[in-house]
Amino acid sequence: MKVYDVVPGLEFDPERDLAQSPAWFLDGTHSVPPWTPMFGWFWINFCRHGMQWGAEKLSLPTVKGWDWRFMNGGGYLTLLLVNSEEEKQRREGEFRKAILPFIQDYDGLWGGFVKEILSRYGTLKKLDLDKASNIELLDNFEETIDTCRRMWEIHMYMMYGTYTAYILFENMCRDLAGIDDTSPTFHRVVSGFDNKVFQVDRRLWEFAQRAMKDGLADTISKTDPPEIRQELEKTDKGRAYMKDFMAFMNEDGWRMQRMSEMNLPTWVEDPAPALGMVKQFIAKGGGFNLDEERTKIAKERQEAEKELMGKVPAEQRGWFEQLMRLAQKSGIFSEEHDHYLDLYTHAMMRRSALGLGRRFVKLGALDDPEDMFFLIPDEVRRAGINPDQFDLRYIVGRRKADWQEWQKTPNPPAVLAPGFDLDQAMGVLVKSNDPIALKVVVGSMPQVRPELKADLYGTCGSPGVAEGPARVIMNEDELHLVKEGDILVAASTSPSWTPVFSMIKGVVVDRGASLSHAAIVGREYGIPVVMNVFEGTGKIRSGQRIKVDANLGTVYILDK
Amino acid sequence: MSEKWIYWFEELSTADNDLVGKKCANLGEMSRLGLKVPPGFAVSVNGYERFMAESGAGEQIRRYVTENRHLLDKVEFQVQAGRQIREFIESKEMPKAMREELQDRYTDLCARLGMEDVPVAVRSSGAVSMPGQMETYLNVVGRREVTRMVIRVWGSAFTTRAIAFRLEQGMEMEKAPIGVAVLKMVNAKCAGVCLTVLPTIGDTSKVVVEGNWGLGESVVSGEITPDQFIVDKEQGEYECVLGDKTKMVCYHPGGVCFSEVPHEKRCIPCLEEPELKEIVRVAKDVEAHFKVPQDMEWVIDSDLSFPENVFWVQTRPAKYVKKKENNSEYLAELMSRVFKM
Repeated sequence: MKVYDVVPGLEFDPERDLAQSPAWFLDGTHSVPPWTPMFGWFWINFCRHGMQWGAEKLSLPTVKGWDWRFMNGGGYLTLLLVNSEEEKQRREGEFRKAILPFIQDYDGLWGGFVKEILSRYGTLKKLDLDKASNIELLDNFEETIDTCRRMWEIHMYMMYGTYTAYILFENMCRDLAGIDDTSPTFHRVVSGFDNKVFQVDRRLWEFAQRAMKDGLADTISKTDPPEIRQELEKTDKGRAYMKDFMAFMNEDGWRMQRMSEMNLPTWVEDPAPALGMVKQFIAKGGGFNLDEERTKIAKERQEAEKELMGKVPAEQRGWFEQLMRLAQKSGIFSEEHDHYLDLYTHAMMRRSALGLGRRFVKLGALDDPEDMFFLIPDEVRRAGINPDQFDLRYIVGRRKADWQEWQKTPNPPAVLAPGFDLDQAMGVLVKSNDPIALKVVVGSMPQVRPELKADLYGTCGSPGVAEGPARVIMNEDELHLVKEGDILVAASTSPSWTPVFSMIKGVVVDRGASLSHAAIVGREYGIPVVMNVFEGTGKIRSGQRIKVDANLGTVYILDK
Repeated sequence: MSEKWIYWFEELSTADNDLVGKKCANLGEMSRLGLKVPPGFAVSVNGYERFMAESGAGEQIRRYVTENRHLLDKVEFQVQAGRQIREFIESKEMPKAMREELQDRYTDLCARLGMEDVPVAVRSSGAVSMPGQMETYLNVVGRREVTRMVIRVWGSAFTTRAIAFRLEQGMEMEKAPIGVAVLKMVNAKCAGVCLTVLPTIGDTSKVVVEGNWGLGESVVSGEITPDQFIVDKEQGEYECVLGDKTKMVCYHPGGVCFSEVPHEKRCIPCLEEPELKEIVRVAKDVEAHFKVPQDMEWVIDSDLSFPENVFWVQTRPAKYVKKKENNSEYLAELMSRVFKM
């Protein structure tokens, strides 16, 4: 065993791990580009724990969650299947009881967890990191680790339960009403709901309105986002504005610029991304289009609900409607959990690690507080109470070199046992009936219809048709390149991408399922989303005019 | 002067349940609510008791029951006793004073309607629910026939099942709190039921109207598949599922019978939209009055013009599955099947 394992006990070991499972998939949504060691340690340990915890609490009949390994900054996953029929049956009986809280009081369940986790964040934030003792800093870090562990338990328990209901609803729509999950009617039924992420966007829009009223719009428009704060603080009015803006950040800005990493500042540390959005709202002018869209989409939803219910036999409508209401929570949960769970917890991890990091620098254990991200908790503990006694630079140096190396070569999308191919591996995923694997990771396979003469074929994530210039975005750092009226082309999207949805006309993603981010947000903004085209980012170049017809699942490149 | 025993429906209300039985009291209440009910009158429980006393049938039954009390718990004897007691009753003439009063009332009804010998329905109207008290004689015409059918309804209080029921409940054998409703036969173009709730799932936002050509009996009896209209109470939007209306109940001189529905009428809705909307409008008012979902029976009279032709013959609290029914466990079971695909 290497001394420098990043995730001791869970490093990928081809020989042993391929004997355990013949297929390990790279989590491309979260671990590309490769994680910093500390973030990888948190994710591999606790996402893994949360999935198994959630699957066990719910007693999912066919799957016991996922196993995870760490390899060169990438997260690799495989499913833990229930093998014997007896065990499946026993678990199924338990599942029927365990799932009841979701059916009986979904809002109470989710609201309770939100309250619990927010109270943990509240406790963590109470500590003034720069005045705290070494012991208090270390305690804060330990509590953060525990909070991350708890966050993932809630996350996966909720996600498994919520998406199971969603899948049942899809199946029932198909069986009772002849509508499948790629149908526009189906999508209308599950969209048009407010959620926390949109509420934050609306606050940003309100700050844009205020800037215009306060005569600050000009300053903001002429300044690059990183300098906006500094420019504004040159005047009294601007200072008052920034004071309120930072108060808002302290409330809702505990979010990472990148969905699953901790090495970029939170909005609280650096409000530039948020101010950049204010700037975009000013440039755009007019009303908050989400409000108008939402009213329209909510109305369309009610009509679609009526249409759907009309297709269901009268005597089945009672439970069917209850199921529909439950399935409609999926979209809300999908957006809100990122805000309350992942993004917020990662912001807490960053805050606590940097607090300790600054102390380590002050007392000579490190050169830079951000070097903390190249340590793992065991190593942090080594110097925790007496940072003056230890030098952690050599560990950081070695890890940083590894990390830089990982960035150079992309991790393989899957590691397979000899003789085992990707199709077989996908078959195992589908057979598991794992709700998360099906609805977030795999999705449905596109139908190629040569008569449509499209350049790419995908599935409908959100209905509609649009034409415009393509904008290929490979990671969040490039999001500022997106312009009003573009059609976004990406491998996949995550909540930090949500704001650009108010500017674009359509989305094409290489991978996605009906509960992935692009589909959900696209539906809320009423723009077409084509998913699972696989080679969109490979075939389409920025600036090319493209036409997307999400209803048919087609993408046309108009100027080749 | 003897006690009053015949009432116009509009003189009655639900407070008169014990006096005239549920059906009559209900029709009275309905007409008070402004619902058009077929015009008619009620014969009260007092009428029954007076008939039993004056005709001698009561004494005869009492004697018969006393003599045979030891045999009464045997089912075979109950059948025989039922037949015998009905025979005692139906063989009696109605005492003259009563007969004249009843027949004059019938003549008054005819006068009210401006018709001679108006066909009526004679229905039992029990004050308590008692099995077997369901006798209804349709299309009864003329003073004598009305008298005969009222006596028959009284006799129907002594079906075998009704006798067994009295024994079980420890009720006096010769007593029968039974009223009679005598009401104009509606010349039914179509008829049916109306529920202000979807009974299977307890959805109170909808009204269900079911109907068939002819009299309502075909819908109530469940022998044919009627047209079904599900109407949204708030929006008024509705959907219609046409039934396979092969047969309908019609009346002919002396009774009713099933007859074939002409082919061209089988696949068109039995209600026109204004009629449907009027039915729903009234049903919502009645539900609002009673504050519980209603189960109602309506008839469209083909002799009259809209909206005077929409008659109501029944309203009562609907039996339905309460919405808070346990869908949860059913949903949990369905969810567990997600893992079996």
